[in-house]
Amino acid sequence: MVRLPYTTALTTLFSYGLLFAFGQLRDLFRKLLDWFRSKDLKGYAPICLGLEDFYVRRLYLRIQDCFGRPIASAPDAWIDVVERYSNDNNKTLHRTSNSTKCLNLGSYNYLGFAAADEYCTPRVIESLKKYSPSTCSVRVDGGTTQLHAELEELVARFVGKPAAVLFGMGYVTNSAIIPCLIGKGGLLISDSLNHNSIVNGARGSGATVRVFQHNSPSHLEEVLREQIAEGQPRTHRPWKKIIVIVEGIYSMEGELCKLPEIIAVCKKYKAYTYLDEAHSIGAIGKSGRGVCELLGVDPADVDIMMGTFTKSFGSCGGYIAASKEIIQYLKYTCPAHLYATSMSPPAVQQVISAIKVILGEDGSNRGAQKLARIRENSNFFRSELQKMGFEVLGDNDSPVMPIMLYNPAKIPAFSRECLRQNVAVVTVAFPATPLLLARARICISAAHTREDMIKGLEVISKVGDLVGIKYFPTEPPKLAKEAHKKRESSIVAERFCGCDIIGV
Amino acid sequence: MAKLYVEAVPPADMNKNTEWFMYPGVWTTYILILFFSWLLVLSVLGCSPGMAWTIVNLFHFAITYHFFHWKKGTPFADDQGMYNTLTWWEQMDNGKQLTRNRKFLVVVPVVLYLIASHTTDYQHPMLFLNTLAVMVLVVAKLPNMHKVRIFGINAGN
Repeated sequence: MVRLPYTTALTTLFSYGLLFAFGQLRDLFRKLLDWFRSKDLKGYAPICLGLEDFYVRRLYLRIQDCFGRPIASAPDAWIDVVERYSNDNNKTLHRTSNSTKCLNLGSYNYLGFAAADEYCTPRVIESLKKYSPSTCSVRVDGGTTQLHAELEELVARFVGKPAAVLFGMGYVTNSAIIPCLIGKGGLLISDSLNHNSIVNGARGSGATVRVFQHNSPSHLEEVLREQIAEGQPRTHRPWKKIIVIVEGIYSMEGELCKLPEIIAVCKKYKAYTYLDEAHSIGAIGKSGRGVCELLGVDPADVDIMMGTFTKSFGSCGGYIAASKEIIQYLKYTCPAHLYATSMSPPAVQQVISAIKVILGEDGSNRGAQKLARIRENSNFFRSELQKMGFEVLGDNDSPVMPIMLYNPAKIPAFSRECLRQNVAVVTVAFPATPLLLARARICISAAHTREDMIKGLEVISKVGDLVGIKYFPTEPPKLAKEAHKKRESSIVAERFCGCDIIGV
Repeated sequence: MAKLYVEAVPPADMNKNTEWFMYPGVWTTYILILFFSWLLVLSVLGCSPGMAWTIVNLFHFAITYHFFHWKKGTPFADDQGMYNTLTWWEQMDNGKQLTRNRKFLVVVPVVLYLIASHTTDYQHPMLFLNTLAVMVLVVAKLPNMHKVRIFGINAGN
């Protein structure tokens, strides 16, 4: 549920219409100018139809310098961004050898493990010397080292499931596992704002895919009832199995999934649940165990838990944690396990060390400090932004906070002006988000100090005034405290009221 | 000035090409664009209001026919060509007929026709052109014409 001023909706639609019209005009002139040029394809078909990449050519390339900026350092709280210039209005960009040090508000560095860490880095370098950067083999041949076995046990223990399996890439974990779990004759019900990897996996599985309204257990129940009653398309036979896929924290909204209610609905109709904790594992919950710990859900109630090591652990790769039987089955059938090179050993060691720090098994309490710091940082940043009048999405405690921009022209304005003032932000537009709802996504890290965040807030406030994105009225300081208390109590009330919908 | 806010529930439509039409403000923007283009035509050409409405109607016919009923597919490659044989009108609302959005889009050319023919006092040749425009547009939007290609026109990929 997003609230936007009505005039903003009108102007955003009008701007997109104008951009579309200009893009079409340019395409028309290009077709006319190229009318007499010989299109000698030597009998081959064209690689893409002219219409398919219209969005990329006419809208994305205009503001290409806001995306894909190369960096020249580790993605810590401060990051070196390489400067680029363009001679042909952003059609091609060239790197220079200069870089500017900017405040990093875009990396998924939730616990600060992205830069050198006093416990993790020496151990990673040691494992690099001992095991070398690559195992040069697939898991089933010669690619399972002691580290891989250790990490699988550690992940299973951390998450609270009997067993786990690792993969070298987070995206592949979703898109290669879902086809192994379900096939033709099965039903996948996924949240409407699920990540592209899940959508890809769902399409590749061959099962029927249905979508339910984002984070709405009542609509999920409606869809489940309708689909179970109708059965498979055309034959109306009963479904072979039903899997419901949700995410822990939705990366474009910053909000938590309504997990207890959704699990209750799935249990009522005997559907399996698949939880993608890419952004929530390690970042939320009292001991970092993710959205299950935060919302009080028993991990045994979720059938399959998936996560990635890229966000909170500062490494790369993904895992699936489930019962012993499922993991054994996946090890025999999943192509990502049978044919893909195994995770790089230093990356595995990084995750092992990071989990040990989080659990406190390295002998210090840095893990607990980091978790407390990220919670404080996120709540502070979010409440300050809301006080300034920005429209910020996401729940409290979530380290991801999108600031709504809406108008397509404000995307490059915000991004470039922030970069000029040495703050690096990530802006997201259509088609990763709905058309009207373009946003700048801020990711807070435990490595950010109070001074860093205050500087970030000053810059964002100044740029927000220039660009005009303070859609809500600013709160005067003395009313802010009461509003803050009211907001917190209303969120708690909402979480408890969710159970009323399904009569639990 | 009190700011008017609207609440939007993101619709559960997978097709990004048509999903934007379900947000609030689209109908108003459409009508405002038509009205402002009439003002623009009046100020640039300096013709009578009736002629201006006729010109707006004919341009509206050409543009909406081209983009709603001629162009097929989507402007991005993400969906792997799933909709490559469907025009925008056929993709709307996931193929469901007679939804609110569809009814609105049928009413707009008819209202434009009424305004254009009234302000030109039903004279020829404007009446003939306006009638032709509205008949083609309304027939193209009928539910019976879903996925129909007359004489195989526009059936190619």
